[in-house]
Parts: sequence; C-alpha cells; structure tokens
Amino acid sequence: MENPLTLLVVLLLFGGGVYALAVLEYWSVAGQLAWGRPARLVLHLLLKEEIRPRQSDTVLYETAPVLFLAAAALAAAVLPWSADAPLLGLATGALFVNAAFAYVMVAMLMGGWAVNGVYAMLGGWRFLGQLIAYSMPLVMALTATVMRAESMLPARIVTSQLELWNIVYQPIGFGLFYLAALALAFLPPFDFPVAAGELAGGVWAEFTGARLLLFRLGRLLLIMTLALTVTVFFLGGWQGPWLPGFAWTFLKTLLVAASFFGVGRYLPRLRYDQMLEWSWKYATPAALVNILWVGILLLL
Amino acid sequence: MTPLQLLFLGVFGLAAIWFGWRVFRTKSMVRSALSLLAAMVALGGMFLALDAEFLGVLQIMMMAGEMSIMAFFMMMYMMDPGGMSSMNMTHQQRPAAAVGIGAGVLVLALALLTPWPPAQALAPSATQQNHDLGIELMTRSMMIFETAGTSILVAMIAAVATALAYPQQPD
Repeated sequence: MENPLTLLVVLLLFGGGVYALAVLEYWSVAGQLAWGRPARLVLHLLLKEEIRPRQSDTVLYETAPVLFLAAAALAAAVLPWSADAPLLGLATGALFVNAAFAYVMVAMLMGGWAVNGVYAMLGGWRFLGQLIAYSMPLVMALTATVMRAESMLPARIVTSQLELWNIVYQPIGFGLFYLAALALAFLPPFDFPVAAGELAGGVWAEFTGARLLLFRLGRLLLIMTLALTVTVFFLGGWQGPWLPGFAWTFLKTLLVAASFFGVGRYLPRLRYDQMLEWSWKYATPAALVNILWVGILLLL
Repeated sequence: MTPLQLLFLGVFGLAAIWFGWRVFRTKSMVRSALSLLAAMVALGGMFLALDAEFLGVLQIMMMAGEMSIMAFFMMMYMMDPGGMSSMNMTHQQRPAAAVGIGAGVLVLALALLTPWPPAQALAPSATQQNHDLGIELMTRSMMIFETAGTSILVAMIAAVATALAYPQQPD
C-alpha cells in the first residue's frame, strides 16, 4: 500500500460496507431497511449482562469469537482494492485466503464445543460436515482462476481478467464458488450451524454480550470478505470505466453481498443430507470439469 | 538469517513444543486435537519465519481441516471423548515411553549427523519458490505423489464400500 490516503479510504469503505451489510441482513429477515438498527444493537450487546454457561471451557470459549473475527479480517487483508492497494501483497494470496477461511470452521467448532451445550455442539459439528461439502468446490474453483493467471497473487488474477472476466470465462467455477461462499458464511439456505428455529441459535446459542457481538461482527466481515473474493477472482476486481479502482471494487463487492442476502430471503433452508449429497455427487465433479474446461481454453 | 527471523523461529518452535505437550495433558479429545492443531500452526509459523511462504500457508491451511475431522472421529469412537469421567485412556505406558524416547534420539541423531548442504544466503523469492515447487511436483517427485494420491483414493473408495448397507438379498 503506497498511499496512506488510499489506505484510509479503503478501510472506511470496508467499514461502511460492513455496516451496510448489517442493514441488509435485517432487511433479508424482516423486509425493512432500518439504518440506525446496527448501531443500537452494538450498544445493546455491549451493555448487556454477560451470562457464562456452567463448566464451559475457558480457553476455547474466549478464543472462538476472536479467532472467527481474525480469520475473516486476515482473508480480507490480501485482497486488492485497486492496482496499488492490497494491504498485504502475498505471492501465495489465493492459498492464504483459503487458509484464513478454514479457521472460520475451527472457530465455530471451538465455540460449539466450549459452551458445554447440546445445541451448540451439534451446530459446531454440523459446520464441520458443511466444510466437507463446500471446501472442495471452493478450493477447486479458486484453483481454476489461479491456472488462468498463472499466479497466486490476487492482483495478478485481476489483471488476467482484462480481456474477459472470469464469470464469463469460467461460469461453472463462478456458480460453484458463489454457492460455496454462501455455505462458508452459513447464510440461508445453508444456515445449519446456527439454524434459528431449529437449533435455537446453534453455536451462538450460549454466547451473550460482547462475545456474541464479536461473532456477529465477524460474520458480517466474513460476508464482506467473501463478496470481495468473488469480486477479485471472478468479477474483474477494480476494472471499470470512469470511476477510480477502489470505487469499482466497493460497488461490485456490495452488489455481490446484497445478492447473497437476496438469495437467502427467497430460498428455504435445504435439508442437511441433500446439501452433502449434491455437493459430493454434482458440485465436486463439476469443479473438476471446470478445471478441465479452463485447461483446454488455456491450451487452445 | 536475520536476528528477527531467528527470534520468531525460536518463539514458534517453543510454542509448537508447548502445545505438543498440552496434547497429552488433557483427557478431552477435542482439547487434545485443538492443541495439536495449535502445534501444527506453530510449525507453519516456523516455515513462514524461514521464508518458505507456500509451505507455511499450506501447512496452516491443511491442518485446520485435518485436525478438526480427527477430533470428530475421536468423538465418535472414544468411550469418554469429553474426558468427563476421568477414564484412563493410556495403556502400555512403559513400552510407549521407551519407543517415544528411542524415536526422539533417532531423529535428533539424524538431524545432527546428516551432512547438510551449506545453507543458501538468500531464499529465492516466494513466486520463484511456488514455481520451483510446481516443477518439482511435476517432474522428479511426480511418481511418489501420484502413487500416494491413488493409494489414498483407493482406501477412501474401499472405506465407503465397506460402510454401505446393502439390501438383503433373497436366498
């Protein structure tokens, strides 16, 4: 990051985007845009009494929310907003994003186990099963974008899409990554680990106050980061006419995130076994076909 | 190697040993698996401190899924996975200790007695490392990885086949 002003703008946009997502999330549930609600909710959760479950595992209980937030933030750090603005330019960026996302699952599993409650534990183990469903399509779709760019540097992946965005070049990969991203952020129709109305909040059921706030903030950050990942890897990143690069990144990211919530608003929760079955029988083979497709296009 | 790198290498190394020790100091299978995960992440940190970016990130990524799935299987098969009833789950402690110490001495001897080639003054750039690793995997080490991959695939198919419940056949 060369210019401190760009850094400030990017951080402000990211924060503003996360706030907008909080508003959108409420819209996806209640159908109304309440702009002041997230701020009120933050105050409410900070002032609320902390209730600790009996015989909870202290270390895991305290680590889980922080790890969850950190994983989402770390993934965001390697993704570029404009030609000169990744916070961290890593030569293994695409792999690093995956590594950070893997710890979302670890944090959920930790949280589910730590609180010593049945619903929470079930939610945590469910998310582990969910990982087995979404991780292969997610990683293999990213691999195909890396193949095209011949580099794991996210900025290079954006410049590889100068002529044609990956959403057109490898539409199967985009579809798989989009669905896997929904599952990774456990958004409806894949919201099994927290499953409101079924597991009574699942992993988050026993967390209160500031720790619940960390989880919910982390989830919004995760959704923002995933939308940014879709933008960088499939939607041409900062490319676009007239506006500066980071503005395009911001607009595309917000649009993708809004579409995430839109999907959740109109689809019911899937059945757990169906999700696993479809993932293994159709999504993973489709991801392999996508790699083959990109390979053939590259050799032509 | 700069003093800062050496410092980080030492800190991550000590963390790996500490968490490795914690694995055996708890009766809860999940705590044990997560301690092992922390030890593995510390090893990944050591790779990063040694400028091996790809290996470090790969180690940190792979271990998250592997250790969690291992925790899940231990939960399923252990009689007291939460460590609630203070069941003793160790056995044959003396032979195990003897084998452990023996293996440790062997590894230490290998590390100390092997004539290592002189260390490179400067590690290649991360991009170059990725490139070199790819070439290595596709040339000299290809057979090894392909064989290992196929064996694992066959084992997975066999495991699924044995787990399937077949409908009863009429006599």
